[in-house]
Amino acid sequence: MNTVREPRRAAEPEKTRRSEPHKVGAWREHHAWSLSISLRRLRARPLGTLLTVAVMGVALALPLAFYLLLGNVERMGDALGRNQAISVFMKPGQNAGMADTAASALRGRPEVADITVRTPKDGLDELAEVQGFSGALQSLDANPLPFVLSVQPKPGLSADDVARLVDAMKNTPGVDMVQDTGAWRQRLDALLGVGTRAVTLLAGLLGMAALLVVGNTIRVDILSRAEEIGVLLLIGASKPFVRRPYLYTGVWLGFLAGVLAVALAVLLELSMVGPVSRLAAAYDGSVSFGGLPAWLLVSVPFAAALLGWLGARLVSARQIRRMAAA
Amino acid sequence: MNTTSRTATQLPANPRHIPYPLGLHGTTGNAVIGFDLVSKRYEGDHQALTDVSFRVDAGEMAFVTGHSGAGKSTLLKLLAMIERPTNGVVTLDGQKLNTVRAHDIPRLRRKLGMVFQDHRLLLDRSVFGNVELPLVIAGVAPSERSRRVRAALEKVGLLSYEKQLPSALSTGEQQRVGIARAIVAKPAVLIADEPTGNLDPQLAMEIMSLFAEFQQVGTAVLVASHDLMLIKRMKKRVVVLDHGKLVADVPATEVQ
Repeated sequence: MNTVREPRRAAEPEKTRRSEPHKVGAWREHHAWSLSISLRRLRARPLGTLLTVAVMGVALALPLAFYLLLGNVERMGDALGRNQAISVFMKPGQNAGMADTAASALRGRPEVADITVRTPKDGLDELAEVQGFSGALQSLDANPLPFVLSVQPKPGLSADDVARLVDAMKNTPGVDMVQDTGAWRQRLDALLGVGTRAVTLLAGLLGMAALLVVGNTIRVDILSRAEEIGVLLLIGASKPFVRRPYLYTGVWLGFLAGVLAVALAVLLELSMVGPVSRLAAAYDGSVSFGGLPAWLLVSVPFAAALLGWLGARLVSARQIRRMAAA
Repeated sequence: MNTTSRTATQLPANPRHIPYPLGLHGTTGNAVIGFDLVSKRYEGDHQALTDVSFRVDAGEMAFVTGHSGAGKSTLLKLLAMIERPTNGVVTLDGQKLNTVRAHDIPRLRRKLGMVFQDHRLLLDRSVFGNVELPLVIAGVAPSERSRRVRAALEKVGLLSYEKQLPSALSTGEQQRVGIARAIVAKPAVLIADEPTGNLDPQLAMEIMSLFAEFQQVGTAVLVASHDLMLIKRMKKRVVVLDHGKLVADVPATEVQ
């Protein structure tokens, strides 16, 4: 027997077709909730969080330390090589007119920034200033020194350009010998190039290691919360909603690791100030210590946060998709 | 959707005979749950449901009963979109679930309130934190969330427990938290799979009475249970499954 009942209206469910302002509000609420949940989870396991941040922080600090080292070696090279002119010795017996002619010929070359003609008398005066030489020079009958052209190459010349310039100097009439004391700088530049490449590769590898550390932490976290994720999916949570707290966790871990890496790098900088100051004193203050640039220190935590987000995104998307399908 | 009309019948010989007249009951109201010739065959050739047809109106409460393996849980899984039917059409609030895209499942699940035998509460969140989850998912603002969570907890008599962790509550209280979570977002349909399975008879009756209250505010309530004594005491419509087939649909007025 059928009972006759008044048709009744279904209970009003939560609005599922949302207006735009409601969507924005819901989006904001979801993010605020995910943010607070992620922080709560990190606080709930302080040791695990600390270890993850420490491992990532050290991994990110290493490239910074190498970058700091390379930067300072480069600065040192710049400082020591700043006045390294090429010396062009004229043949003995050449007079001032011949030296000026040779200097004029070389001034026309694009690689040359400046040329100073040093007379034999200038050379003798310089030697006389060197302790212990003055007595020996007084015993000379005549000045044996030749005219010397001190050629300052333009900054930023390649090794090939400098080699071409040296060849041109050797072929200039009246030139006896060319002494390029800047060759060591080219070798240093080449070494710095190798070092820079190595640091870049190292930064890439350690960045990937940091990404894997975050990824693994998030993977373990997701696996330990499989039941919770199942419940959330059953009561209507979308996959992005479930994933969001894990993404925030990745961002926090990355950011904190970035801050730690910067702190370690700054500590390293501070510990190097004393030795470098002593080195500077030995070079009459021409060498100075250079720290990491401010833009790098500021951007490292944000770049690390991005790395954390990426690691969490890659792992959580896969894990949660699997759980939703199961 | 029209339900098939059948004459009264008896369950096959079974230790759990239904001790009241059986018959198919067709509703004429505003159906929010619909099963139309629904069959479900699992991998391994296990036929869980065969041509099951019935519907539940808004504001109606119905029990699904039958022995173990009769298909009660499968039926609820189809409604919750955990499984898809092999044949037939399942509808929820007018929406066909057979062809629903994966992307739309979360939105449709928000029309459902689900109560589980094992509560499935999150043990690291407070009672409040558990109950507010559907509202967080729906993007409800915190002030409104707080108001509605407290209203739901008051409804199930657990307002004073809002800051407690679920582990500090008794089984019956945990189940009531599960119910508060299921109804807090005012779903169109409330489904429960053996919600009183772990409770003593008195607590079980209290829980069922709560379900009946939600029925009265327009929610369609579908409860899977094998507790015939309890079902009889509730005097609500009973859908009986046996080996995956609907063998009886008894209106509330005929439950004795």
